[in-house]
Amino acid sequence: MVRATLSRLFSSISELSIPKPSLSSVRSEPMTRFGSNSASRFLCCSAQQPQLNHQEKANEEKREAVKEDPEIENKENEEDDFEDGDHVNKQTGEVGGPRGPEPTRYGDWERNGRCYDF
Amino acid sequence: MAASVAYVGGQLQYGMNFYWGQGYRQALWVPGVTINGCLQRELSWSRGVSKFLQIHRCNFSHYPVRENWKSFRTVTTSAYLKDGSTKYFDFAVIGSGVAGLRYALEVAKHGTVAVITKAEPHESNTNYAQGGVSAVLCPSDSVESHMQDTIVAGAYLCDEETVKVVCTEGPDRIRELIAMGASFDHGEDGNLHLAREGGHSHHRIVHAADMTGREIERALLEAVINDPNIVVFKHHFAIDLLTSQYGSDTVCHGVDALNTETQEVVRFVSKVTLLASGGAGHIYPSTTNPPVATGDGMAMAHRAQAVISNMEFVQFHPTALADEGLPIKPKKTRENAFLVTEAVRGDGGILFNLSMERFMPFYDERAELAPRDVVARSIDDQLKKRNEKYVLLDISHKPREKILSHFPNIAAECLQHGLDITQQPIPVVPAAHYMCGGVRAGLQGETNVHGLYVAGEVACTGLHGANRLASNSLLEALVFARRAVQPSIDHMKSSSLDLSASNLWTQPVVPKSLGSDVMHKILRTTKEVRKELQSVMWKYVGIVRSTTRLQEAEQKIGELEAKWETYLFEHGWQQTMVALDACEMRNLFCCAKLVVSSALARHESRGLHYMIDFPHLEESKRLPTVIFPSSHMMSTWSSRQLHQQPMY
Repeated sequence: MVRATLSRLFSSISELSIPKPSLSSVRSEPMTRFGSNSASRFLCCSAQQPQLNHQEKANEEKREAVKEDPEIENKENEEDDFEDGDHVNKQTGEVGGPRGPEPTRYGDWERNGRCYDF
Repeated sequence: MAASVAYVGGQLQYGMNFYWGQGYRQALWVPGVTINGCLQRELSWSRGVSKFLQIHRCNFSHYPVRENWKSFRTVTTSAYLKDGSTKYFDFAVIGSGVAGLRYALEVAKHGTVAVITKAEPHESNTNYAQGGVSAVLCPSDSVESHMQDTIVAGAYLCDEETVKVVCTEGPDRIRELIAMGASFDHGEDGNLHLAREGGHSHHRIVHAADMTGREIERALLEAVINDPNIVVFKHHFAIDLLTSQYGSDTVCHGVDALNTETQEVVRFVSKVTLLASGGAGHIYPSTTNPPVATGDGMAMAHRAQAVISNMEFVQFHPTALADEGLPIKPKKTRENAFLVTEAVRGDGGILFNLSMERFMPFYDERAELAPRDVVARSIDDQLKKRNEKYVLLDISHKPREKILSHFPNIAAECLQHGLDITQQPIPVVPAAHYMCGGVRAGLQGETNVHGLYVAGEVACTGLHGANRLASNSLLEALVFARRAVQPSIDHMKSSSLDLSASNLWTQPVVPKSLGSDVMHKILRTTKEVRKELQSVMWKYVGIVRSTTRLQEAEQKIGELEAKWETYLFEHGWQQTMVALDACEMRNLFCCAKLVVSSALARHESRGLHYMIDFPHLEESKRLPTVIFPSSHMMSTWSSRQLHQQPMY
């Protein structure tokens, strides 16, 4: 009884007042997904998805030739560095930004596990 | 508590009479206001507030003024006069975060500016805002979309006009920052790299690696330091605003401050004052805010008769690292909380109470993947029911390598304190993060006190409503700091400074006469009282609230405050004495009381404010909570300006 009541109470508030896209009828993609699919999903939606240029393609081929850990999307990739030292994040297309997966992939802003904004 | 609290909606009529002192429990209908239970669009808070707070040209001819005195239009390096411990400026800015600095840079083109900051200039909540700032900067995005996201996040309590203004003007404010030298991340295509944070339906978060706040602060501070018209007074703690009554109007003439390095009082007399003093996280024991965030601005404004709004909406993060649960406790108390990311739950982390019971399924079908606010409430509920200090977030069932590669920061921090997160659960507790409420502001950042403007976290502009959307706080600060500029300049030009005005208010004094032994006792007691207040706030005014608990809080806080003040005055403390710890304590008491009053007044649950006895949204209550100034009868030391004598 208590379980159902509490569940209803908290859920009813959350549906009305919490801005999670997963609760909105407009959204087709819940924000709070887990597993390795989430990062690539966000990249597909990004309006900022950069086009791969020749140099990038060459780098990518080079990387594919190297044996990589299957968890690559969650690891830093040093071959991304340009000559001038500006790091380009392969997953997000960002120049000089945080390495690794998109800090906002779970909704909050996180770096290496620490949350800075939400 | 003498403050009267009311729901206010519709048009506020200028010059209307308020009901006073009827007690915080009653929701008072202010005369002249029509409440028609209508939709958000009709509740023109900002329009009403703007009309009410209309800046009319202050005619100071009835007020002591030296007719031959010119206002400070000419700007030179020695433009400010010094008369003993009084300094005269055209503009006084309290706070050196993004709002204060942004404003200072603009108004400095028109007059002299003092930036008064209580620690080092970079010590502000801005500096810790590491995420980003939201703005519509992508062609496929729209102001309407940003507005919608903001209003939904705010549980429909936002003021629509404010939201429109902020979302519309945001992009220009970002562009200006870039022009000022702030460096934001780009994509390979050369465009700004925009991230998408929870609650946003488009990518619109501009950021600088993972230190956006710091980067903005750096760029602004550099410009401020290089501006010859701006003088930064660091380690100057603002004590009370200098105000006078002109009929029914309150006018602000500057601020008293304590130089905490030299222990000297400095009086700043200014034509215009901007309050940009940030948040009040330290009314709670666990907070992400740096130590400077003790609600100084909200308290000073309340004491200066400014209207305060929506203080019940305190944003907590559900899972901050709980030092109490670490095998090796940090040597000194952590200054600001280490938040454990949602990603841990997203990756399969499970929440347990200290009896190792998984509790989330009892609260929500989505268990650990429920929305953050639901998780926060659930954790709070568990802690209060079980009278425990933290819960456990366990990711140890996942592969060790994955844990270490995804969360190296958490792993390292915990390991430093004797905890291996690949083997043991992480102790976590909610932490206070952001105050959605504050000093009520109109669309130009104006308040009901003439010459007093507000911007940033200290303000309640109507943008956040009942809950802040991620990355909207830096945006709000930028927009309102900018909007307050022209009205400030206009006000400044119509004002004259009276050099003898400085003598109108009693000078604060440092408690040298008490001697070091007594001061030591007072400081020690004050530290204990602060901990006690924080404990009461967390226990009784946390995330899940009830009328009973809030009433208990009110009583306990009242008793604690009385006990503390009695202690002070019994040891020779005088009404006008000032010391950093004591002044911060009185501000914390003031803010705590404002939060409790506001929480008691809202008989519904909305956004961040959840009440067990009013668990649902009530359409008729979709109105801001407003606290009007209290009368000075029988008021405490924390409730009145230092130079105001109690009336008994």
